[in-house]
Amino acid sequence: MISFEKHILSNGLKVLAHYDPSTPMVTTNLLYNVGSRDEDPGATGFAHLFEHLMFEGSDNVPVFDTPVMLAGGENNAFTNSDITNYFITLPSGNLETALWLESDRLKGPDLSEEKLKTQKSVVTEEYRQRYLNQPYGDLFLLLRPLAYKKHPYQWPTIGKDIAHIQNADRKSVTDFFRRHYIPSNAILSTAGNVKPETVFRLAEKWFDDIAPGTPYTRNLPREPVQDERREMTVHRRVPSAELLMAFHTGGRTSREFYILDLLTDILSGCDSGRFPGILVREKEIFSEADIYLSAEIDPGLAIVSGRLREGVDIRTAEKAVRDELNRVAGEQVTDAELDKARNRYESHQLMSFLSAGNRAFNLAYNELLGDANGINTEKEKYMSVTAEEIMECSARTFTEGNCSVIHYLPETL
Amino acid sequence: MSKVDRTVPPVIITPSAGSFPVPAMHELSGGVPVYLLGTGTLDLLRVEFVFNAGQCMEDVHLAASTANAMLTEGTLLHDAMSINDLIDRTGAAFTHMADKDTACLIAVTLTRKLGEVMALAAEVLFQPSFPATEFRMLMEKRIQSFRTNRQKTSVIAREEFYRAIFGGDNPYGRVTVPEDYTSLTLEDARRFHSLHYRPSNMYITVAGKDPEKALPELEKYFSCGGEEKWNKPVYPEIIFKTASPGRLFFEVSNSVQSAVRVGWRGITRQHPDYQGLQVANVILGGYFGSRLMHNIREEKGFTYGISSVSSALREIGFIAVVTEVANEYREQTLEEIRREIKELATVEVGFEELLTVRNHIMGEIARTFDGPFASAEAIRGLIDYGPDPDYYRRFEEKVKTITPGEIKDLVATYYNTDNAVEIIAGAK
Repeated sequence: MISFEKHILSNGLKVLAHYDPSTPMVTTNLLYNVGSRDEDPGATGFAHLFEHLMFEGSDNVPVFDTPVMLAGGENNAFTNSDITNYFITLPSGNLETALWLESDRLKGPDLSEEKLKTQKSVVTEEYRQRYLNQPYGDLFLLLRPLAYKKHPYQWPTIGKDIAHIQNADRKSVTDFFRRHYIPSNAILSTAGNVKPETVFRLAEKWFDDIAPGTPYTRNLPREPVQDERREMTVHRRVPSAELLMAFHTGGRTSREFYILDLLTDILSGCDSGRFPGILVREKEIFSEADIYLSAEIDPGLAIVSGRLREGVDIRTAEKAVRDELNRVAGEQVTDAELDKARNRYESHQLMSFLSAGNRAFNLAYNELLGDANGINTEKEKYMSVTAEEIMECSARTFTEGNCSVIHYLPETL
Repeated sequence: MSKVDRTVPPVIITPSAGSFPVPAMHELSGGVPVYLLGTGTLDLLRVEFVFNAGQCMEDVHLAASTANAMLTEGTLLHDAMSINDLIDRTGAAFTHMADKDTACLIAVTLTRKLGEVMALAAEVLFQPSFPATEFRMLMEKRIQSFRTNRQKTSVIAREEFYRAIFGGDNPYGRVTVPEDYTSLTLEDARRFHSLHYRPSNMYITVAGKDPEKALPELEKYFSCGGEEKWNKPVYPEIIFKTASPGRLFFEVSNSVQSAVRVGWRGITRQHPDYQGLQVANVILGGYFGSRLMHNIREEKGFTYGISSVSSALREIGFIAVVTEVANEYREQTLEEIRREIKELATVEVGFEELLTVRNHIMGEIARTFDGPFASAEAIRGLIDYGPDPDYYRRFEEKVKTITPGEIKDLVATYYNTDNAVEIIAGAK
């Protein structure tokens, strides 16, 4: 049970505080409800580029990192399709430094031409390092536009084209900031050795003078139901073939999410799952085979990815995956499998709570989903999933018409 | 509410390294050491079994990592699927790996499942069956990932760097070639296992709430019986040839970036300069605000990241500046690396920068001991590379007292730009 208290400032900033006296540290987590799904199709990669700019100093902070280091802290951030999330962990006595820094960059980040130019270049190198200069690095750059035709999940967070980053100008960056970086679009949470009343008092002190701004209403196109198989074949300089299959699923808060999340654990969450057992060991078709959920807030994807063994035809491999998916759609998983998945969920959830940083993030994320207390009640949703539900949901999800497939093959010399 | 004055930063409380938990020592029958770390509030335990069975003990290349990987591929009592099923049913997480100096198995479990989990740990550690089919599949999989890795500029640069620094004829610097996977036999792995995976050749750490709860189970499965007595580890002597400085280029055609490594042979943890060198290295490239990051990422935008490490294995240390840059910025980046090193070797670091780095390292040390699992990892380092229970206390003292003059001298001594090894992997 993760206990916490909640307080909302007059400008709309939500604050959540979890007290844990067993650590000498505290983590602040500031989640902004903006991700790459909020970008213009002609200017993708903005949310992430903006995350970089948030580390470039603000009105009263010439170098963001220096006060964090002086306070004995560490900090980082990440961006995905749905959110941009910033966190700082430091000795609990220095909580106020973190709040000063976060409030100052929410109020007035340095969006100068010079900083923008450098970060465009840094992000371009990040794009190259992580996506272009890695074997299999472009798999998801290919999958998203295949699986999504209308919804902005069709582009990756890094952006669909380096040119979008390179063309970013100050005006569009500033507009993006005004639209999304406002208190009512953010959730601040803390976990560690500071009592809630202190957190709320200091949050009031540093965030209260920030103008509420104009609330942003998200209005994204819905992805139409896919009713025809999509397939793409590419050849790349890689040693082995890779199979990718994606199926549309419900959103993060739907019942379907919990059902399929448990199912993916049964199929490939551990070494004794069906994919490692049958597709890897018994049939020797793949050297690794995995299935997992994209876990995005709007309706997302269940993604199968498998590295083929030498000499296996990709259609044979796809057929073998298909057989396993048909099997879960046609007959119930066993009680032993379901029990195992529940046990694993229980212990893995507890392990994830070891880190105060994780607790802070999960509080904020659950609040974004509708209720911070989801951190405590989510377990029940997993535990109540039945074998019938899994079968019924699989039959609905793993159909031919709901599937996008990539055959990623080695270049033939 | 009155308006806050943002120009006045909150007062910073100087971070302290905190208190260092001291593990309680216990011996199982026959002398097997167990280190108990009782911190944390959740009903979880992390039990780590460490064997003197790293690559440095190998007589055949890949024997250490293969013996370790085969632990969960079947036992005398259960085939591969069944043993994994038994482990997974408990909800426990098993991870196992072999590195240059040691090999280990880590089991994280709910405290109430401890009995079952320890029995399974003992089964995989001491009774693996080395089935031929699983061995063949494992080796095929490893060749496949080897081929993928050889397309990564960063992996090529790292391995070639170790070869250049340590020499290619010993386990620290040897670069794996595809034939290694076919020449290693199942018998080699089995023999390596039976020689080295024994209670007499291991120690155990237990971290979490009430770790002493594990002692009866550990006594049952991991004590030394009969003739076998626990031995202090003995390591083979490795002779390192002198590293030859200069540039080595490895072509990876079509790559859009080059992986760059510039470095030197370093020193081990026992060396009196080791801790001071850590501080100097942080200033150069050990944190986000470091000299190298500031210049090459934040000012020039040449790279997504650049860092510098000073690290040590049991027998030998190394220093390396590591980055991935666009091919066209490669030479300029190398030039800037040399310039930053020279600057640090000739001009004393200012008060404010040194204070920032001091406080940053204090925070790092405090985080190293934040929670039972982090502490368990830190304690392992103290056992493997010592024993040196006082390491962090001395490090804290060094961080507080090191002078700008000392830092300048350390950089001048250990980062000699005239005899660096430079490795580049990328397009021509």
